[in-house]
Amino acid sequence: MAGPSSSSHKPRRKLKQASNESYDNTSSPIDRFTRVPSFPLAAFFWPARGSVSQWELLSLILMAAGLFRWAAGLWGYSGFEKPPMFGDYEAQRHWIEITTRLPISQWYFHDLQWWGLDYPPLTAYHSWLCGKIGSLIDPSWFALYKSRGLHDPTLKIFMRATVVVSEYLIYIPAVVVFVRRFSRLNGVSSWSASVALAAILMQPATILIDHVHFQYNTVMLGFAVASMSSMLAERYLWSAVFFVAALGFKQMALYYAFPVFAYLLGSCVSPRINVARFIGIATITVISFAVLVLPFIIGTLQNVKNGISPRPDSQESHHPLPIFEGLTQYLDTKASYYPIVEQLVQMVHRIFPFARGLFEDKVANFWCALNVIIKIQKYPADLLQRGALLATLASTIPPNLILLIRPRKPLLPLAFAATSWGFFLFSYQVHEKSVLLPLMPMTLLLAGSQGLGKETRAWVGFANILGCWTMFPLLQRVDLRVPYTVLTLLWAYFLGLPPTSLSAYFQEGSSSFSQWTTAFIHGSFYLAMGLWHVLELFLRPPPDKPDLWVVANVGVGAAGFSLCYLWCLGRLVLQSDILPRSWVGKKAKAKTH
Amino acid sequence: MGEIYPSLTQCALVAGALKILLFPAYKSTDFEVHRNWLAITNSLPLWEWYYEKTSEWTLDYPPFFAYFEWIMSQVAKLVDPAMLRVYNLEYDSWQTVYFQRFTVIITELLLVYALQMFVDSSHGASKRVAQVAAISILLSPGLLIIDHIHFQYNGCMYGILIASLALARKRSTLLWSGLLFAALLCMKHIYLYLAPAYFVFLLRAYCLSPKSTFQIQFLNCLKLGGGIAAIFGTAFGPFALKGQIPQIMSRLFPFSRGLCHAYWAPNIWAIYSFLDRVLIVLAPRIGLSVNSGALQSVTRGLVGDTAFAVLPDITPRTCFALTLIFQIIPLVKLFVQPTWDTFIGAVTLCGYASFLFGWHVHEKAILLVIIPFSLIALKDRRYLGAFRPLAVAGHVSLFPLLFTPAEFPIKTIYTIFWLVLFLITFDRLAPASNHPRFFLFDRFSTLYIAVSIPLILYCSLLHGIVFGKNYEFLPLMFTSSYSAIGVVGSWVGFLVVYFTS
Repeated sequence: MAGPSSSSHKPRRKLKQASNESYDNTSSPIDRFTRVPSFPLAAFFWPARGSVSQWELLSLILMAAGLFRWAAGLWGYSGFEKPPMFGDYEAQRHWIEITTRLPISQWYFHDLQWWGLDYPPLTAYHSWLCGKIGSLIDPSWFALYKSRGLHDPTLKIFMRATVVVSEYLIYIPAVVVFVRRFSRLNGVSSWSASVALAAILMQPATILIDHVHFQYNTVMLGFAVASMSSMLAERYLWSAVFFVAALGFKQMALYYAFPVFAYLLGSCVSPRINVARFIGIATITVISFAVLVLPFIIGTLQNVKNGISPRPDSQESHHPLPIFEGLTQYLDTKASYYPIVEQLVQMVHRIFPFARGLFEDKVANFWCALNVIIKIQKYPADLLQRGALLATLASTIPPNLILLIRPRKPLLPLAFAATSWGFFLFSYQVHEKSVLLPLMPMTLLLAGSQGLGKETRAWVGFANILGCWTMFPLLQRVDLRVPYTVLTLLWAYFLGLPPTSLSAYFQEGSSSFSQWTTAFIHGSFYLAMGLWHVLELFLRPPPDKPDLWVVANVGVGAAGFSLCYLWCLGRLVLQSDILPRSWVGKKAKAKTH
Repeated sequence: MGEIYPSLTQCALVAGALKILLFPAYKSTDFEVHRNWLAITNSLPLWEWYYEKTSEWTLDYPPFFAYFEWIMSQVAKLVDPAMLRVYNLEYDSWQTVYFQRFTVIITELLLVYALQMFVDSSHGASKRVAQVAAISILLSPGLLIIDHIHFQYNGCMYGILIASLALARKRSTLLWSGLLFAALLCMKHIYLYLAPAYFVFLLRAYCLSPKSTFQIQFLNCLKLGGGIAAIFGTAFGPFALKGQIPQIMSRLFPFSRGLCHAYWAPNIWAIYSFLDRVLIVLAPRIGLSVNSGALQSVTRGLVGDTAFAVLPDITPRTCFALTLIFQIIPLVKLFVQPTWDTFIGAVTLCGYASFLFGWHVHEKAILLVIIPFSLIALKDRRYLGAFRPLAVAGHVSLFPLLFTPAEFPIKTIYTIFWLVLFLITFDRLAPASNHPRFFLFDRFSTLYIAVSIPLILYCSLLHGIVFGKNYEFLPLMFTSSYSAIGVVGSWVGFLVVYFTS
């Protein structure tokens, strides 16, 4: 491809690269057996086969991903000009206001009715850092009380920039490293890995929620990916540290806690029992948590010394604990350590709102879908809680048991995905945005073995598009139809998925029975989604059922996500070799013929 | 050899997605200009189009563009009739924004089609190279910044230009090439700058016999002349009947404007102004007299009318003469050697001359140089050597068009993305030349490209931190002087390549 160059100063590295890659016989079927790219994203990388330096390619991918993120950010955010409460954007802005303007012991107590802080401490520290930088530019953005509901256009640019910068500092490096390690582990060529990386970074759901609707999910997701990536590199202690960081940023990372625990424990048990490693992981986890809350403890002690109360507006000197009231029987409320206990209990109370219902809004999980058929909300709350707990356990124990017995690196994303699908579908208090959690590990499968092959591409694509679709009601409320449509269709186009193409299902012969089944199932879902969009656009729901479209969305979404859960679990079972040989043989046969 | 990936359609689709996402981005007064023209053409009879002046943005493009606006206004009527009222100044409902932005994307399909024509007109090994050049034009940061953010319809018109240039490649379609260009002239008169190259090329290759310059092919002359007359008749005829031609001409060629446009286009006059400013400081020491009147305005260079303090003033006549001289020099070679490659070179050089020496040149006009040049930049490494500083300078000089912070990351990252992608790809694809490369030019262009990074940093970030809102002309002056050096350097380099190959 490169012509002989006449200028003498041209670097010669190209030749070396070429010899590295052209004999790479571990490449995926896309570049080995076919002469034509099988989906458009591969076409864009087509000229880069062979002789292109990975760094050039990486920098181009990162720039393109950044451009789409920033351009999407030009659109509105949640709660834009929507008083009285505004939305997630205001929540994040308000947290910056709290953390930069109030003493640390008041953070979890300050005016809880107006977007009180309910995320773990790392989010608070992150807000504080963003606020310190932002206040250099314009302190009025975060003025206490006065700045509520502010929608200054420059502030918007600043807030958007904090999301992008946080993502480029945490999520993106983590994903780049993960993709590199995971693709090598699976013997995937670096070219395919680059294609997969681009696909992962252009994943529409994360862009829509973080950069358009506004949140910092990618920070948490980034720490979780870094944790997985450290597992691949066998750096177990780092893995624990990163996971604590993920949890410390957003409690939602608990969806991943089970597989992290299972894998780390499994790696201490098999192939042989490694007590030192186990103790090391346990210690470092405890230390990380301690470091995480340390600023709160020190800050609270200092505030107490200076006579700053966590509740300056309240006259009473003694407040009961919000939860775990029983503790006060054993503790001395006058003791010097008591403010710390109060702080930590309040933190837990804010982070885990047990008092709320099974689900809040309409979300495409099992309970909400079930609610359409049987009005389950009439049952007592503790029964529902117990039911949710049982169902969650039932759905998440199998994948984690497998991971515990077979702690193998290639299984990680599948186990993470299956578990988080289980949590998403059956657990308590799920938000529609939580679908980002199962989507992340599932999308990472693109970098694995056969990741860009038809089956994985079809299922990963299906999950992502369905995920975006279930978030449409959320996005549509703030007039984000256009970025939703553009980013979702663009991704579908990149990966050759419906509605832009059927290439992920039918291509080049080999139309087996299972392929037809997949095509049929996915096809009917895609049709349902398309039809739903048409109905939603042109028909008003009947007056006695104003939520009809949302309910239909929830039902279809829950059914589709259940299939994704089953697929991940099925793949996990197959790949873990946990079943007897004869059994798998039959199944594998059915899969390939 | 089958299809080359990625195809133009694929690139256009993905670029289209980005362009739709840019709908809410900053838009300049040109947005209002075009809305006003939609309103004028839709709600007024033809005879009043060039007299209407409710808005300060009067219609100052030739009639075909007005017809083009009229056609679009027929659709606009269905979208939001309020945008079609002449007195409805500064109207920008979201329907209006979506509609106008969308028309830019749709009409740009013409560019995609024309580029495909250009690729299809190349054969063998050069097809791959042509495809890369075509994609580089399609994804040009210039078009993204000017059309899709700042707002204009250049994509569509450069599409016509490229179609015309591609048609010139085959003898059998030469006539259509000429006629298409005539139609383009009736859409936007800025392309008059390229007309001398067309004139010489069509004269030599179409109207005169290939064997001898003294044999005139009368039939061809008749076809071309008749065709052009018919096109101009369609465009200007209705207005000529009412005797409105002088009025149209005064709208199309407003000579009352100053030498340098609001910002400094990176041309010879930018260097000249820069020198003048330096001389203000030096003049007392070397005994030159300073025109104190010109010193008064601190914002010199920002306002339309430029007066020089030390150096002699420039008249439109000087500009015109210089432009013509530097256009004629390459045309001599084109007359002697009327090949397609020379023709494209001559078109490029006409663009250069008009951009560098023209009166009241807008920095957007740099596309007149970059786009034709892109078609031949990959001919060999010497061409590429001249193209590189132009690609950097031309695009960096467009940065001041967008000054809002929200668009800053878009313009810089997109331009860097384009430069990294295409300068690397071009570098791989351009074949070696059989002429020796000339002295130090490569070194110059590498150094030049390297300087752009601190320059962009200073202009966009450091200046604001150090001086705040003061001395706002400084970054503009640096940008345009820097870019001017690049454009002039690449012009000199290309002149050498043009005359030695």
